[in-house]
Amino acid sequence: MALLEVKDLKIAYRNNATGEQSLAVDGVSFTLDRGETLGIVGESGCGKSTIARALMAYCRPGGEIVGGQILFDGRDVRAFSEDQLRELRGKRMAMVPQDPLTSLTYHMRVGAQVDEISRIHQKLDAKAARQHTLSLFERTNLPDPARTYRRYPHENSGGQRQRVVIAGALACQPDLLILDEPTTALDTTTEMQVLKLVKDLRDRLGVALVYITHDLTLTNYMCENVLVMLDGKVVERGRTAQVFEAPTTAYAKKLVAAIPRVDAPAPVAQASTRTGAALLDVRNLTFRYGRSWSLNPFARRTIDAPAVDDVSFSVPAGGTVGLVGESGSGKSTIANVVVGLLTPTSGTVTFDGQDVGSVDGKRSADLRRRIQVVFQNPLSSLNPRQQVETILTRPLQVFFGITGGPARDRAAELLEQMELSPDLLRRYPRQLSGGQQQRVAVARAFAAKPDLLLCDEITSALDVSVQAQVLALLKDIQLKTGTACLFISHDLGVVKQVCDEVAVLQKGKLVESGRPADVFAAPSHPYTRRLIAAASRREDYEDIASGQDAAAPALEMASSTPGKGQT
Amino acid sequence: MSASSSRAIQVLTHSPGTMIGVVLVMLHLAVAVFAPLLIPYGETQLVGAPLLAPGHPDFLLGTDAIGRDYFSRLLMGGRTSITVAMVGVLGAVLFATLIGVSAAYIGGLYDDVVMRIVDTKLSMPGILFVSLFVIGFGRSVVVLTIVIGISYFPGAVRTIRAQALTQVPLDYVKAARLRGESALSVILRELTPNVAEVVVVEFAIRTSSAILIVSALSFLGLGISPPTPDWGLMVSESVNQIYAAPWLVLLPAAFISSLVVGLNFASDGLANALGLDAARGLHRS
Repeated sequence: MALLEVKDLKIAYRNNATGEQSLAVDGVSFTLDRGETLGIVGESGCGKSTIARALMAYCRPGGEIVGGQILFDGRDVRAFSEDQLRELRGKRMAMVPQDPLTSLTYHMRVGAQVDEISRIHQKLDAKAARQHTLSLFERTNLPDPARTYRRYPHENSGGQRQRVVIAGALACQPDLLILDEPTTALDTTTEMQVLKLVKDLRDRLGVALVYITHDLTLTNYMCENVLVMLDGKVVERGRTAQVFEAPTTAYAKKLVAAIPRVDAPAPVAQASTRTGAALLDVRNLTFRYGRSWSLNPFARRTIDAPAVDDVSFSVPAGGTVGLVGESGSGKSTIANVVVGLLTPTSGTVTFDGQDVGSVDGKRSADLRRRIQVVFQNPLSSLNPRQQVETILTRPLQVFFGITGGPARDRAAELLEQMELSPDLLRRYPRQLSGGQQQRVAVARAFAAKPDLLLCDEITSALDVSVQAQVLALLKDIQLKTGTACLFISHDLGVVKQVCDEVAVLQKGKLVESGRPADVFAAPSHPYTRRLIAAASRREDYEDIASGQDAAAPALEMASSTPGKGQT
Repeated sequence: MSASSSRAIQVLTHSPGTMIGVVLVMLHLAVAVFAPLLIPYGETQLVGAPLLAPGHPDFLLGTDAIGRDYFSRLLMGGRTSITVAMVGVLGAVLFATLIGVSAAYIGGLYDDVVMRIVDTKLSMPGILFVSLFVIGFGRSVVVLTIVIGISYFPGAVRTIRAQALTQVPLDYVKAARLRGESALSVILRELTPNVAEVVVVEFAIRTSSAILIVSALSFLGLGISPPTPDWGLMVSESVNQIYAAPWLVLLPAAFISSLVVGLNFASDGLANALGLDAARGLHRS
């Protein structure tokens, strides 16, 4: 008998306004035994997290299991009483959710939070629970368990927090561990450390794993079997390697093809529009966050570490330059200096022959028009209370004085350029999908007819196939208009795909730069090598693990100075 | 917008508590507006024998100590305090929106100064401030409205600023700044629509508390002046007859409570409906 058997599972959500039920999960079946790993892959909204919760007999408000069975050890979890479920959850099956910061309680020390689990389920006394927690921390490779035990969640880095959550999930040695996008909130090297840990634990403890992710490459690394889901249905299933090598359905083929790979050959030299002359030239840029004074003594800021340290690079007209690095490496600070939100401590920023570094927020309207930004998260960069029409016509009004009918026509034209229907003009951002939102954000940037487009992690909030589409459209419109692009990303695959040149940043310093093909083929700096290894997720990840100690202090630094991370 | 407002209506009508609240408030507002058409006698006229009990064939709810029709006085008794409370709070909330949002957006010293002034005001007991103000500037409807406005302004600033602070770091604000929009334009065009829900709820909640304050003032003799009928005043005028004619106290008290309870239920429901909506917008990513 299999440990977990899901038969023809159907879950529906009720629409609050209309009262109609729509199926979020439609006839999903699978089995899983101890020591096995099953990956569930699909884009956001395909029902994968809904399944994860349903395995623990839980639905979000408005959701309901309307058909099928979930057999755990041969018994249907839906028939369990609340008391029986409490026994089941945490003790026999455990879940690791996506964001460790929200899944830990802010005001409790992390040790106490893990203690709680074994005190409730295994009835350990305080001392035994503490011992148990310390041993769990040790097993999950947390540095200095005794110290970590006393810390609050915010005093740990993202990777450490997620390891605490995993330690909690393992507290009662569950038979089934459900991981719901456990590394999506983490950066690449931290992600590798967590993945390696999970894999080790699976091999050592023989626990059954359900691994939910939108990242196909991860399943290849983590799972023996995989389910590919689309709109609540399983469209493809099988051994991971097989699905990966030879996907049979159109959707799976599209997913596999959309993965940007670092190890793929560089795209054939495209008809580049670069003309050679530097449009943006950054020389010896240094930036320190200064002290800020306030009546409130607790709000005064006194950190004084350089966020960007002597960085030089240039973007040729029509060219695309990538800035790569982990969070906290100073990428976003550079972006803020380039757009004029921050004034450099020293060094110069020259745009089209004009020194723009010291202008300090008083840039001319024309200069503001010529440098446009597309932000990371489209849902936050589009005003939720404005219709797409307002969002697109506002820059037209501000920069060109176009209003009324002509502005509306131009907005529709911009949407069409991004392959969106003009019908969307009447929609609000949250009525659009993530990809549509980001395309509207790109359209807004191009409304100003910029010379330089600054893309700040524009694909990291998007699913992989949507990401490919947005990048293709961006490349297309860039070729048509001859706009230069400064492309900031932590995703090396994406950078390799779109950039003519790449600069690698670590802790505010430029460690390597050059053509992406050269940099990725023969990285000269160990940090670049580590980034590449983490991104390609090869089996030879040992050098990442060995680089772990070097990476840890960097991460702690990044999390302790929230002001300078990315926004 | 239509989709989200229809959902808000759905949620409003979904919970029985909210329904009761909305019905009570509607009823009270309708009575206050149409009272002059509904009353059988002038509210200040002496029309019958004093202290007639309710159920009298000519006077539905009897008469008060000097022989005025109690039914007419009760229907008219909410108009002044409801108007004073609503106008005062509306002014407070609108002004607080401008100040709160700008404090959140501009920050720095301006924010500090605004918030310390707000803290100073919040550290005074409300009823004390209001009574001193009325004693100092005299009893009139205008003074009352202004003092209600002043006393509800600081709390509203605090709430609205807090909501605006969640919006200021978002990239759409950054995008507007990079477009070169003026501070006023960012505040009015970008930020204010995104705090509108809080402003509406704030208005509803504070109105209910303002009605209580006005009634309390009238009861203490610092609010609305006789012979204008007012529930708080009517309670205080009838306290002496509480054993002989308890309905004279109980009826206006019941009118005050039903309005305040109704407002509280309705604003709770409103907050739920709108809060749900706001959460749906920004917590999805």
